[in-house]
Amino acid sequence: MRKWLIRLAVIALIAVGVFSFRTLKQEPLYHTQSYVFGTLVDISIYGETEARAKLLTDHILHDFQALHDQLHAWKPVGNNQPGELGALNAAFANGSTPITISPKLAAILTDATDLSLKSQGLFNPAIGHLIGTWGFQRDEFTAVTIDDAKIKALVKANPRMADIVLKGNSAYSTNTSVKLDLGGYAKGYALDMAASYLRKQQVKNALVNIGGNIIAIGQHGDKPWRVGIQHPRKPAAIATLALADGWAIGTSGDYQRYFMLDGKRYCHIIDPRSGYPVQHTQAVTVLIPPQNNAGVLSDVASKPIFIAAPEDKASTAAMLGIQYFMVMDQQSNIAVSKALAQKLDWLDPEVNNNRHVKLVTLP
Amino acid sequence: MLSSSHSHKPAFRHLLAGDWLTIILSAIIITYLFQTLWSHEHAAKVQIRIGDKVHAAYDLNQQRDITVRGSIGDAVIHISQGKVRFAKSPCHNQYCVHQGWLTHNGQVAICLPNQISLELIGAQKPYDSLNY
Repeated sequence: MRKWLIRLAVIALIAVGVFSFRTLKQEPLYHTQSYVFGTLVDISIYGETEARAKLLTDHILHDFQALHDQLHAWKPVGNNQPGELGALNAAFANGSTPITISPKLAAILTDATDLSLKSQGLFNPAIGHLIGTWGFQRDEFTAVTIDDAKIKALVKANPRMADIVLKGNSAYSTNTSVKLDLGGYAKGYALDMAASYLRKQQVKNALVNIGGNIIAIGQHGDKPWRVGIQHPRKPAAIATLALADGWAIGTSGDYQRYFMLDGKRYCHIIDPRSGYPVQHTQAVTVLIPPQNNAGVLSDVASKPIFIAAPEDKASTAAMLGIQYFMVMDQQSNIAVSKALAQKLDWLDPEVNNNRHVKLVTLP
Repeated sequence: MLSSSHSHKPAFRHLLAGDWLTIILSAIIITYLFQTLWSHEHAAKVQIRIGDKVHAAYDLNQQRDITVRGSIGDAVIHISQGKVRFAKSPCHNQYCVHQGWLTHNGQVAICLPNQISLELIGAQKPYDSLNY
């Protein structure tokens, strides 16, 4: 009888031990998803109490929503009033009378203009009218009737960031065809904003993902944060990589915002030179080393590489100072820069077997 | 329990090899049962989120249609023996439906207009977040 009691006690102790071990093993990881910027915002915070992590993410989401309202290119913010960018666009269209803008928007426009010049106009947030013509300034994308004459006229009007004149806290445009759409900039800007806020709040470990653009702070416990890169034509990741402290990653793809017309895919990334959506590329991923505007670069830098012709992609990346990048063309052939290739762990069996896909390593 | 086993300590000396074997085997079995029955971590599941809330997680080893209400209407999520997909969605572009079957841990399908996301979760996450 005693023996049985002992046995039971030992077994019970082991059971309790296993149970508490499992409970202790629960990670201090807070993970939340929300919808802002018309896309999914996914925030992970490691090593903070749940209550604090929740306060921090609520603050970030609140800031994101405010930024979204301020920078939205086409949606009125409550009461049918345009946001700050909407008001500026209306002023641009009406002629060259300066209007007052916030210091924040002035700084954004200065930075976006620098990046546009650096990309020789391939990154061009001034082509809002073209983007609207293609139907990508709506919540849902339906095929549009392609108005070739209108597109040609919009290209000929040559809206450029350099047409915008900033003087102190006022702005005007010397070209009435300028319509700002910061769709390729705002999410990256928001990443930098969130990262800087979290660091100021002494958060050591976090991962912020806005619509696929990701920035890392610290790491996930004793391992670096790991991110997957989506395959443009499969519901799966093609590769994973470690995203170390301060690094950011961004992808431009033809698979998130597009419509099909007569069997052809028209994506939201428009070549400012032709006025037509880019059709030679499925996805471009860029990886950005730690720097103050890593988030912005992760958003912006993939666009010019995406738009550039296949033979110009490597030189366009070099022009932008991008070392880590990957390109998938319309046949899902992969070209990856040497620097990025060293960091990728391929998940896709077709890549591992080297079937159907051609892996080209760039200098 | 600690004190009671302590007071019976001399009794351990009388335990035979078979007794120890019983104890060890029981411990192994209990550990195994804890891992498999008390936790679902090893069974592949689909986690459904609506807006910013986790709606539910379902075992993938079943045949089942789940209707969930998103921000614009009802979506039907189809689970079929280890895989899951959006079967019907009220959204215009149907990108979520066109994504097709999700089969592996970490795969996600998101319906932005309806604010519903599916994520396959299992014992180990192959990555913390997805770049797209």
